[in-house]
Amino acid sequence: MTVRLQRWLTAGTLLLACWWAAAPSPVLAQSGEIWSDNLASPITGLAMSADGQRVAVGTRANEVSVRDADGRELWTFTAGNSITGLAWSEDGSRLAISSEDRFLYLLDGETGEELGRTKASRTFNSVAISRDGSLVAGASDDMQVYVMDSRGELLWTDERGLGVSAVSIYGTGDDARVVMGAHDGRLSIFSKTGRQLLTTRLEYDIDALAVSRSGGRILAGTTDGGITLINGANGELVWTAKADSDVTDVAMSADGQILMAQDDRGNVLYLDTDGSIVRQLKPEGEIRQIAVTGDGTRLAFGLADGQVQVLDRMQQSVGLATATRTRNMAITATAGLVALLLAGAILLIVFTTGGRRMWVQHSVGPLNGLAAVWRARFSYLLILPTLLFLLTFNYYPAFSGLYHAFTDWTPSGHSPWVGLENFRFLMSDRFFIASFRNALILVVVSIVKTMTMPLLVAELVFNLKNRYTQYWMRTLFVVPIVLPAVVEILVWNNIYDPSIGLLNEFLELVGKSDWSRVWYGDPKVALSSVLFIGVPWVNAFALLIFYGGLISISDEIIDSSRVDGANVFRRFWNIDLPLLMGQVKLLLILNFINAVQTFELVFLTTGGGPGDATYVPALELYYMAMRMDRMGVASAIGMILFLIILVGTIINMRYVRTATEFEA
Amino acid sequence: MSAVTMSPTMRRLRLSLGQTVIFIILLSLLVLTFVPIVYLAVLALKDNGQIYGRFWSMPNPYRWENFALGWAVIGRSIVNSIITSGSACATTLLLSSLSGYVFARHRFPAKEIIYTGILALLMIPPILTLIPAYVLILNMGLENTYWALILPWTSGGQVFALLLCRSFFATLPEEFFDAARIDGATELQAFWRIAVPLSIPILVTVAVVRLVTTYNQFMWPLVAISSPKRQVVAVALTQFTSEIGVTDIGPRMAAYITASIPLVILFSFGMRQYVRGLTAGGLKA
Repeated sequence: MTVRLQRWLTAGTLLLACWWAAAPSPVLAQSGEIWSDNLASPITGLAMSADGQRVAVGTRANEVSVRDADGRELWTFTAGNSITGLAWSEDGSRLAISSEDRFLYLLDGETGEELGRTKASRTFNSVAISRDGSLVAGASDDMQVYVMDSRGELLWTDERGLGVSAVSIYGTGDDARVVMGAHDGRLSIFSKTGRQLLTTRLEYDIDALAVSRSGGRILAGTTDGGITLINGANGELVWTAKADSDVTDVAMSADGQILMAQDDRGNVLYLDTDGSIVRQLKPEGEIRQIAVTGDGTRLAFGLADGQVQVLDRMQQSVGLATATRTRNMAITATAGLVALLLAGAILLIVFTTGGRRMWVQHSVGPLNGLAAVWRARFSYLLILPTLLFLLTFNYYPAFSGLYHAFTDWTPSGHSPWVGLENFRFLMSDRFFIASFRNALILVVVSIVKTMTMPLLVAELVFNLKNRYTQYWMRTLFVVPIVLPAVVEILVWNNIYDPSIGLLNEFLELVGKSDWSRVWYGDPKVALSSVLFIGVPWVNAFALLIFYGGLISISDEIIDSSRVDGANVFRRFWNIDLPLLMGQVKLLLILNFINAVQTFELVFLTTGGGPGDATYVPALELYYMAMRMDRMGVASAIGMILFLIILVGTIINMRYVRTATEFEA
Repeated sequence: MSAVTMSPTMRRLRLSLGQTVIFIILLSLLVLTFVPIVYLAVLALKDNGQIYGRFWSMPNPYRWENFALGWAVIGRSIVNSIITSGSACATTLLLSSLSGYVFARHRFPAKEIIYTGILALLMIPPILTLIPAYVLILNMGLENTYWALILPWTSGGQVFALLLCRSFFATLPEEFFDAARIDGATELQAFWRIAVPLSIPILVTVAVVRLVTTYNQFMWPLVAISSPKRQVVAVALTQFTSEIGVTDIGPRMAAYITASIPLVILFSFGMRQYVRGLTAGGLKA
């Protein structure tokens, strides 16, 4: 039997491998593209606002083009000479521009209207702006750094005596700090008023700088190809990575987790937070500018031929994975799967009586077994498509999820084994802990909702004497099922709308406007508001199940109970309810499974907020995987939910068995 | 006074009183249930001026063009939904009826082990496979294509469909197939000419359940599809705001109603099959 199974599984594995080999290989570089455009002149400046809603592109032909998230042009600006740098304030309301026309400009991000400018004696080579747009700094080839306020008033200049070609700013208001990197490798941090707070020395000229939102991490690119991460608090070097040649641009997300650099040969380098170069990409065309949004979800490239590409970072980075590695992964996974199945089969044979019996019955020798398999080849062939589908899209992801729960899985494809680290992380994650409390409430409330109202309505409808009324009542209660699930949530969003929602308008109408509030925004009522959605909770599906159960109760039982003088409530408790236990169990388990995985209900209403008031585990899973790139942690959440559902189902199954006995 | 000694008039009166109470309770629950739907319909026919200015009045004039505006934004995604749900459903039916037939009528080594292995998938919640399946789709280079929806949906639907199909095929009398074999029909002919026509009811059940389930799917398309051009309607509706702007409530509501039409059509003939299918699947699981 094992031999047969083994042969069969080997054949399956080979087929699976072929299947994967035949799958289309990922498209390089282009994958994940959100939009691209060609501005016909080399791109010399590129910046994205923190949320990626605004993209500014500057060209050698003096133009700045401001685009929205989909690449539609909103406005343009023309400087007196080539653009050398661009910087957005965090919300995209201010844009700072440095140009070879010797001016540093500050523009309104919405309209393009000029708010102020400062002139240097030579060209500006780079620019930076604070998050709140209150401070703008520019480095000029006249060896000075110019710092101006939000009206274009020059606050101070700093004479380095040496060329400066990289500036950056972090912090807001009076706490804004200007970081500059000079040609002597000196990196300095200044206060808003121009006082030098910190200085540190790198070995080579600093050509590019990027600072995390808090200023805790400073990424510097130097002319020897060094990419150095500096601790912004004390100026200490954290690590240095080496590129092949001059580093001309660096980029970092606001949290400092996503790091990129670009050298003067047009290579784009992706670094992890430990300073190892995860990937090096040499796209077609010469890349001159790189940018990443503050939240790290989008990348932008500006090319020498005038092309601009904005990409979804997640998809782009995964798309970069080569076909070879994909195949290796798939084959390894399949081999693991086969090994698991084999181990399972062996365990079954050794430890269960049924398995032992089967082993004895079938242990007539491998030849015989193989012959049986060969005779049945046609049957195998017919179920093969089903099996291939299930192995690829169901079994493989399930095992992959369980495996990767113990790894630090990122979109780059790296997944080093970290043991229980992900689970430990989750135990200290405030949101995750809160999400469990909320999930528990959701599960209980959703079960109560399904067990009460639909059952009540089913009983009432069932007790109507008039056949005609009965039919119409049942039909009308079921009608809402035709609304797609998300539509119900979206309509309720509208009902809860604080400014023009039905609920607040109604409260005003009845003179209780002091009861009205921002239903999703108030931590005290947010969860209740979400739970209240769908009132009076007459779930059509549950109603039909219960109603179906009631009409299948034989008339004789009901009549005899009536003869015995049982009133409606006694009949409900002693006859209907016991006979409906099958339906109760079914709805119990379906509800439990769905409620544990609740996602849309929260994602589309409160998004988990305010704070962690309505957070649920599935939401944390989604955010971890899609926003934070921590797919290992996401897999760990998936595994925890899976185990919870498994335990719940097993408990319910036991319970169902006793109920059936009771029924019989 | 006991029920036995009640006069017929009294009994009828008490009966009708009980009936009236039941009727009133049901009616008020019905009204509550329909509030969001009526609200949706009313808003769908108003413009912003009417909504903000005269919140409680009926639409006047009726803004039927809201439906045209709504359709312009989500029409494409409704078509996407129909294409992907439809193809996935058709493939599921084909594959699972075939393998359900094999599992019900053929004898081959390791049959029960394989079948148990397939049924075990019922224990795997979608949340566990979400991210790994997404990475798989990315690695296959299928993100942002219809395939990213059709293939996993086809696969996932088979477990439930196979369960129903196998138990149905197992109930068909062996004599039909013996007769066919004597007449010289091949195995595939027996399947196609005898088993499939007899199993139309169960196939319709599977189809309705799968169509409704995939049409309502939200999380997987949200993850697997990022291009608005390819997005399915369940997700597209939620991204509506950014398309036209927050201010246009009417067209948005009209779009919600439009998005329900495929389900209205489906349920108008398949309600019974839907409930039967879900019940059978759930009880077996």
